[in-house]
Amino acid sequence: MNGSHSSARRGIPCPARGSLLLRVLALLVMLPTGGCGKRGGETIVVGSKNFTEQIVLAELFAQQIEAHSTLRVDRRLNLGGTFICHDALVSGKIALYPEYTGTALIAILNDSPQKDSAEVFRRVQEEYRARFNVEVMPPLGFNNTFAMIVRGDDADKLHLRRISDVAPYAPKWRAGFGYEFMERPDGYRGWMAAYGLHFAGEPQILDLGLLYRALADKQVDMVAGNSTDGVIASLHMVALEDDLHYFPPYEAVPLVRRATLEKHPEVRGAIAALAGKISVDEMRQMNYAVDGEHRDPADVVRAFRKAKGL
Amino acid sequence: MNWYEFLLRNRSEVFERSLEHIALVGASMAISLAIGLPLGIALVRRAKLQRWVIGAANVVQTIPSLALFGFLIPVPWIGGVGASTAIVALSLYAVLPILRNTCTGIAEVDPAVIESARGMGMTPRQVLWQVQLPLAAPVLLAGIRVSTAMCIGITTIAAAIGAGGLGVFIFRGLAMVNNQVILAGAIPAAILAIAVDSGLGYFQRSTARK
Repeated sequence: MNGSHSSARRGIPCPARGSLLLRVLALLVMLPTGGCGKRGGETIVVGSKNFTEQIVLAELFAQQIEAHSTLRVDRRLNLGGTFICHDALVSGKIALYPEYTGTALIAILNDSPQKDSAEVFRRVQEEYRARFNVEVMPPLGFNNTFAMIVRGDDADKLHLRRISDVAPYAPKWRAGFGYEFMERPDGYRGWMAAYGLHFAGEPQILDLGLLYRALADKQVDMVAGNSTDGVIASLHMVALEDDLHYFPPYEAVPLVRRATLEKHPEVRGAIAALAGKISVDEMRQMNYAVDGEHRDPADVVRAFRKAKGL
Repeated sequence: MNWYEFLLRNRSEVFERSLEHIALVGASMAISLAIGLPLGIALVRRAKLQRWVIGAANVVQTIPSLALFGFLIPVPWIGGVGASTAIVALSLYAVLPILRNTCTGIAEVDPAVIESARGMGMTPRQVLWQVQLPLAAPVLLAGIRVSTAMCIGITTIAAAIGAGGLGVFIFRGLAMVNNQVILAGAIPAAILAIAVDSGLGYFQRSTARK
């Protein structure tokens, strides 16, 4: 789903085989956070996949738990993809990680895509509880799905708000799509049929990162991106509303082991407090702060929590 | 489904993409030869300028292809989306080995041979065409050979800017998390690289024997 891979790793001082000096230094570095006595022996491991949005969300979970419990949080970010996170969660290597309902439904439960977000959530929650003993917590508030994106000045000039609004202009427009959008069952073909759109010529097929540049430079007039990509905001683009609800829901949800929730009930409260707190715009801004402005995810999350009064 | 079954089932598209790939490599190599050879020859006697130009070519090599495409999208005439941008980027990458080997090959011709050619009353132009270039030919060809093999490999990234070629399968396979599709692009590209390289190698050896 996501093309924006970031290598923004948190540096955790861990000189396992370093010299004595290094060990002493590491101890000193860890003192202010780990050695203040408040954090007891118990540790909880937060995981994430290897792209910016996941790292931001996992950092948010970690800070929430740190603020609402005495647990020590171990961050295992940048795990290589959905299946690795899932295995780590089910086997207890990590206690929680952020996931998307559509990904859980299609990639983990091997179900077919569905349109109704409430139904997808209910089904994923039921299956995860029964099969993996994992709790699907309430959605965080945004949907990371395919989004049709146009230049902001076109949207203003032509009053484009929904995908259907594009129909009269499409025959003069060139579209630019990524390889994933062209190939996925919930991608190009079904989308063109659902909206009955016709563009001038075949779509340009580009790498996702280049699509936005091509759009900004008017090489193409509409692209399929991801709804939470940070550049949408920074390059003054507009994501059109999917008014026919063609794209299946990919709502961000925290997945937490039930064993963890039973052992540490305060974790449930800390994570449940995030329900509905992150709008798609806010997620875009945080992604952009990390990818575009190269800010530390931990700082970005701290600012967000402060602004939201969490 | 094995990758070769996938390849057989999609052979018409694999063939079409291979032709696109060869066309992209051909155009890029033609441009980089047209730039690299004359530039290399011109720089033989200008040591300082040569260092700067080869340094610049080195810097270009270190720019990631996606970033280079990004820079080229807004450039009028040569940029945009499609084959032209890909060919410009590929030519820039392919020019370094040609340029460097042209300079080195000519510089390494035995000065005594050049001296005696001059002594026979040859003009500088005759020395270049009849003595230096023929003697430097194996080194020049080695540069072209390296450059071509590399170009066939990196042409797979042309698919990122909508220029087609065998990279289409690689990008498609990556997006679908499907190794068969990736291999349907990677293996024909590898075969193409090996075939062209051994062809040029044969040609190189036959010129060295003369």
